[in-house]
Amino acid sequence: MSMPQSTSRQRSVFERFPFIPALGILVALLILNGIAEPRSMSYGAITGLIKTYLALMFLAVAQSFVVFSADIDLSVGAILSLVNVVVVVLIERLGGGPDSVLLACLVGVLVGTLAGVFNGLVVVGLRLQPIVATFATGIVFTGLALWVLPVAGMPVPQAFWRTYGGRIFEIPFVFYVVILLAVFIWLAVRTKYIIELMAVGDNRLAAYQSGLPVTRIRIKAFALCGLLSAFAALCIIGDTASGDPVVGNAMTLYSVAAVVLGGTALSGGSGSLLGSAIGALILGLINSFVFFAGVSSEWQNFAQGVAVLVALMAGVLVTRRISK
Amino acid sequence: MPRLRLKGVSKRYGATIALGRGDLTLMSGEVHVLMGSNGSGKSTLSKIIAGSVRPDDGVIECDGSVVTIPSPRAARDLGIAVFYQELSLASHRSVVENICLPRLSGTGGLFRNRAGMAAAAAPFIAPFESVLGDGFGLDVPVGRLRADQRQLVEIMKTLAAEPDIFIFDEPTSALDRAQVDCFMTVLRKLKAEGKSIIFISHRMDEIFEIGDRVTIIRDGETVSTSALADTSMDEILRTMTGEEAPGPAVPAVAAAPHVARQPSIKLKVSNLVAPGVNSVSFELAAGEILGFGGLHGQGQSAVLRALFGTAPTRSGDIEVGATRLKGNSPRASIREGLAYVSGDRARDGVIDGRSILENTVPIYALKNHLITASPRSLGTRAADALEQLQTKYQSLFHPISSLSGGNQQKVIVSRWLMAPPQVMLLDDPTKGIDIASKTELFRVLRDLAADGMAILLYSSEDAELLENSDRVLVFNNGRTVRELRGDERTRYHLYHAAYEAA
Repeated sequence: MSMPQSTSRQRSVFERFPFIPALGILVALLILNGIAEPRSMSYGAITGLIKTYLALMFLAVAQSFVVFSADIDLSVGAILSLVNVVVVVLIERLGGGPDSVLLACLVGVLVGTLAGVFNGLVVVGLRLQPIVATFATGIVFTGLALWVLPVAGMPVPQAFWRTYGGRIFEIPFVFYVVILLAVFIWLAVRTKYIIELMAVGDNRLAAYQSGLPVTRIRIKAFALCGLLSAFAALCIIGDTASGDPVVGNAMTLYSVAAVVLGGTALSGGSGSLLGSAIGALILGLINSFVFFAGVSSEWQNFAQGVAVLVALMAGVLVTRRISK
Repeated sequence: MPRLRLKGVSKRYGATIALGRGDLTLMSGEVHVLMGSNGSGKSTLSKIIAGSVRPDDGVIECDGSVVTIPSPRAARDLGIAVFYQELSLASHRSVVENICLPRLSGTGGLFRNRAGMAAAAAPFIAPFESVLGDGFGLDVPVGRLRADQRQLVEIMKTLAAEPDIFIFDEPTSALDRAQVDCFMTVLRKLKAEGKSIIFISHRMDEIFEIGDRVTIIRDGETVSTSALADTSMDEILRTMTGEEAPGPAVPAVAAAPHVARQPSIKLKVSNLVAPGVNSVSFELAAGEILGFGGLHGQGQSAVLRALFGTAPTRSGDIEVGATRLKGNSPRASIREGLAYVSGDRARDGVIDGRSILENTVPIYALKNHLITASPRSLGTRAADALEQLQTKYQSLFHPISSLSGGNQQKVIVSRWLMAPPQVMLLDDPTKGIDIASKTELFRVLRDLAADGMAILLYSSEDAELLENSDRVLVFNNGRTVRELRGDERTRYHLYHAAYEAA
């Protein structure tokens, strides 16, 4: 068998690890943050950053699954909100003990997964356009969340957020969660399912003609998306320590941006879960950089937007240079 | 007992009958060739077996028992695997992943096993080891491979499904001779193992080399099945076209024999190379209608689109009139006097949701560098052009969607006639148009040719092509293989040329 030349081997490294440009951007942003405010690189500051953006990391990984199959889920933020209020209200109703916290979290994960399955059935079963269908189901989920908890503010037991913000064996709890997410990603990319999912996203007709159960594969992606959105909700509860029926709604498009920053194509068929998690961190670092760079508050949105655009362009330019 | 038997299988789409009565008996250990002219229903028949099209009627028997094949998955479970002409590969996935894809979930375990997959793919790659070419590798994404390598991967993928029944739909169109030889060796081995193979190809030499029996479909009906050893190419072509070999030419509607006497060349193409086009050269004289024929998708449309400047890459010399065509863009082609009318009106023609007037004037406006548009003065010019084609419309300000397909196409042709081009490129222009409008359109085209316009015509309907062309260039695999003139313009000669060795 003829061996690929060195150039094409170089290409295939990037092709196999599409998150490499994102990793570069992440490092660049870390350096920029360090220059703007050396203290932002301290152990405590990094822990704080991860604590705040862990939910978005989960949400971006959730979004990746549907994007891999050339779908999109614009209801992830609403699922997050719904799970958030369901868990908070359940803890309250069940008395707030450790058992009730655990049970409420389990129910929350179940609710998120069911919401994802519902999305899958609507999009794949009814053959609706995912972008509008999940936009609509997102409104439905928000409606349910408002029914469960009409106004924001119900607190969760101290134990919950103390654990999330605390340390185990002198290591912050969130780091364990990050490791858990990393292990999940490591396992997920080694499944046969992800190959089939990518094949469906690459060319849906070809996958169908190859005898793949395309419908089931796509619904599974939506279910996984709902499941991981529920985990994002648990992180948000740990971070904010209260219930809020619209807490996640603004995060939906951030999750899409993180996926794209991470080197995943919205057209499906190629991408990286790790890249999406890195993309979420990039968005977090951009926000903190804009803050530390001393941009006045009325210009912060503007600066953040420009910075995201620059990051996207950097990613696109690097990828284009490689694939030339 | 036959391995697979189809009895009276039919499929219709609305009023069109794609397959009227398909019969096929497939035995163990045979290569069964399926032949038919364009639109005869052979691809519908193979899609029914593949499970991607559900028949309306008829019986399918597999190993003696009646079965239904509702999906490609069901076909796979019955032991049927298909090589798709348009390939069924995921371009971002690696060669190994593509080869193993159909059987990935069948074997146990949640996780993929790289070494296991490579080992599973290896025996199907091995027969082609010597002809894989540069840049081929197990981990290379399929999208990076050349066309012939991708076709080989599709072959390997079909083989790796390890079915009892294979359908190969044009598996060799991109392969070179050495690669074809390897493939033929594999087919002989499968045959010896008792597998059944349905084989569709446009290379007659291959058909006689590997085929055992041939089933011929004509106009949606199975007309004969015979052993290839007992038949000849002539007999097959006669059965396929329903015409005698030297038979009389289809009388062309006002064919213009005087054309040849005034050879003012309007279009000269030399060594045109573009995606799907493999070095094509021809000349087109004023007043001539040159037809592009052959089996579907052999480069006819690709040449027209390349001439009009919509192909991503193009090389070769193109002269329109006396000037050389430089830029590769529709804008450059329009400026030099080319016009392009496509059968895919929604994609290439109609400006949806806008008025008939707006759909008629854009080329005129472009060529005359109009900055402002006055509906009144443009309206009279547009109306004249539309009148020339006897377009039926209520008012110029009605949306174009209010018209029938035939009248929409007349609007598109009028668009070009407002600023008459030198050469008209017609890419299957009558697709989805009623008979009356077709006749009307070709009458107008003949008039235009008589006035000195040069016309290139590709039609997916052989009869239409043969009737309306002064000459026909027959395409095979992106090349022109033969030119049919005068009495040679028959379906028989067309298919004789189309099936000639590439």
